[in-house]
Amino acid sequence: MTFENNFINHSKDYIFSANETLANQREQSFRKILKNNYDKKNNESLKNITISDLSKFDYFYKYENKAPKVSVLDSINYEIRVVNGMCQNFEDDNIEIRNLQNYDFNSFLDQDNNNSDDIIIDLNKIFLNSGIFFNIKNDTKLNIRLIHDTSDNFTVFQNNFINFKKNCEINFEDHFNLSHNTINNINYNTKVEECAVVKHNIFQDFSSSNKLYLTSNTVCKKNSSYNQNTYNFSKGFVRNFHNISLNGEFAKASLKGCFFLKDENICTNKTNIVHNAEHCISDQTYKGILNHNSKANYYSNTFVSENAQKTEGYQLSKGILLTDHCSFFSKPELRIFADDVKCSHGSTIGPVDETALYYLRSRGINKNEAMKMIISSFIEEDLQNLDHQARIIISNNLTNFLNSLSDD
Amino acid sequence: MIFLNINNLNVSIEGKKILNDFNIQINEGEVHAIMGPNGCGKSTLANVLAGNEDYEINSGKVIFKDEDLLDLNIEERAQKGLFLAFQYPVEIPGVNITPFLQASINSKLKNEKKPEIDNISFAKLLKKNAEELGISIDMLKRSINTGFSGGEKKRYEILQMSILNPALSIFDETDSGLDVDALRVVTEGINRFKDSKKSFLIITHYQKLLDYIHPNYVHVMREGRIIKSGDISLAAEIEKSGYQNF
Repeated sequence: MTFENNFINHSKDYIFSANETLANQREQSFRKILKNNYDKKNNESLKNITISDLSKFDYFYKYENKAPKVSVLDSINYEIRVVNGMCQNFEDDNIEIRNLQNYDFNSFLDQDNNNSDDIIIDLNKIFLNSGIFFNIKNDTKLNIRLIHDTSDNFTVFQNNFINFKKNCEINFEDHFNLSHNTINNINYNTKVEECAVVKHNIFQDFSSSNKLYLTSNTVCKKNSSYNQNTYNFSKGFVRNFHNISLNGEFAKASLKGCFFLKDENICTNKTNIVHNAEHCISDQTYKGILNHNSKANYYSNTFVSENAQKTEGYQLSKGILLTDHCSFFSKPELRIFADDVKCSHGSTIGPVDETALYYLRSRGINKNEAMKMIISSFIEEDLQNLDHQARIIISNNLTNFLNSLSDD
Repeated sequence: MIFLNINNLNVSIEGKKILNDFNIQINEGEVHAIMGPNGCGKSTLANVLAGNEDYEINSGKVIFKDEDLLDLNIEERAQKGLFLAFQYPVEIPGVNITPFLQASINSKLKNEKKPEIDNISFAKLLKKNAEELGISIDMLKRSINTGFSGGEKKRYEILQMSILNPALSIFDETDSGLDVDALRVVTEGINRFKDSKKSFLIITHYQKLLDYIHPNYVHVMREGRIIKSGDISLAAEIEKSGYQNF
């Protein structure tokens, strides 16, 4: 069904559909997209996106009583199952989780808008059909595992709000269990309050018929720390766009990602960190291994505002191209308006280091195993801080990816 | 058994001829040294023997332990007992020394149809050999050559040789970049490893290294071939008058 028909036929199904302000905004966004006709050339948000996936798709969403569940495994371990964008409403001394209600409308309107030119976010607003509000309370120390289950053929347009309250220490994991032929346009609005420490690991591993457009906007307050690690082993399309604003002194943030692509797969990545306060540190590092005809791009931006003295900001992208037919486009950008900063950026993309390969083989290790050693070593440092279970997940996925190289 | 016989070997890279009807024979237990001016083809010879695929073999024959070496790929040559100690050992961040070396020795053992070495036996062997070379246990926890000084890299090459136990070890200008003390440690490591079954091909510019190793034969190489052979006195002659007289 065309974009126009989806908009007209389903506009009453969406969250906040009764609200006139939002209805007008949706109408404006709809007209803007139609007018520009998905102008790919001038819009980073559409890089490596297949326009027909946006302009023509089968919108399908209905509430199903599939019993999304919050499981308190023990005093610090929580498992939250989100089914087709819906969760079970739950509250205890540590967390509050609930589906978005009409009274959340103002939060929705007030969300930090780093995405004014992002058509994917416009689509999220237009077709919004689900959303979850998370409140992680002061001083809690928790491990939270969030599992996104999306049923066959569902189109999930989800907008989530997470508040990590003061002094909490949270390991937060996102897992995507997407079944078949699903579209998942998910937007996170995250606040990390003073002295909160958040480690956010995102695991993406699903079949080729699924698409995931994941966007996050995170605001970090004074002395807080937010570290995001994204691991993309998906065979389906993935867009990872992640933004952070460091708004309080001594805040630290990192956006790191590893992706492993093969066949005709495509992924598009963008990270953006804005330094708005003094003494903040940021790190953006994305690494990719590409095989066959796969394609990827990575935009990284660091913006240091005039008052953000003593900033440290680092950017790095690395890519290994295993064939002559794959491609990885990388564009690091630094915009610095303060004069007392330490910032750097770098990008290296190329085939496997032949000298290293020769060295390993000269010690009797066969070419395939040597290749695996070099590729494993490429992301080894990114696995150092993972807990045991997360390491097992990555290790199994990596083994599968490396074994697929042997089949070629 | 023919141990190593190189017969009329011609090699080029990107159309430029480097080895020019090169001939040498090395028997089991012998130590040969090759000296020669820059660009004469010494490192090319080492790399061609190790199987570096950047070079084009135009003609000639190389027999190693009764087998045509040129038919084997890089890893097969190593598994058969050929070891090249690199002039500039490459850094490979993220590949840990210990599992890498265990994988190396096991690939060799597998090729020889022998049982693989288990973790505990390997750890003992590695610790013993590392101690003999003054290599700390901490260094063995690091990535291959990563952050090593020049001397550490060369010592680590000797450690690999002592673990892999090759029949033929080729040293490509191992003395380059080493101070006197590091040179002594490295050459002591080589000397400790010598026996009647093991052969060495030492490529060097300087007599100093040969003073420690005592080769049976010294060869002078120019323009891709050996132009003179003799004993250790040949090295002294080169040290005194350079290569002009050859």
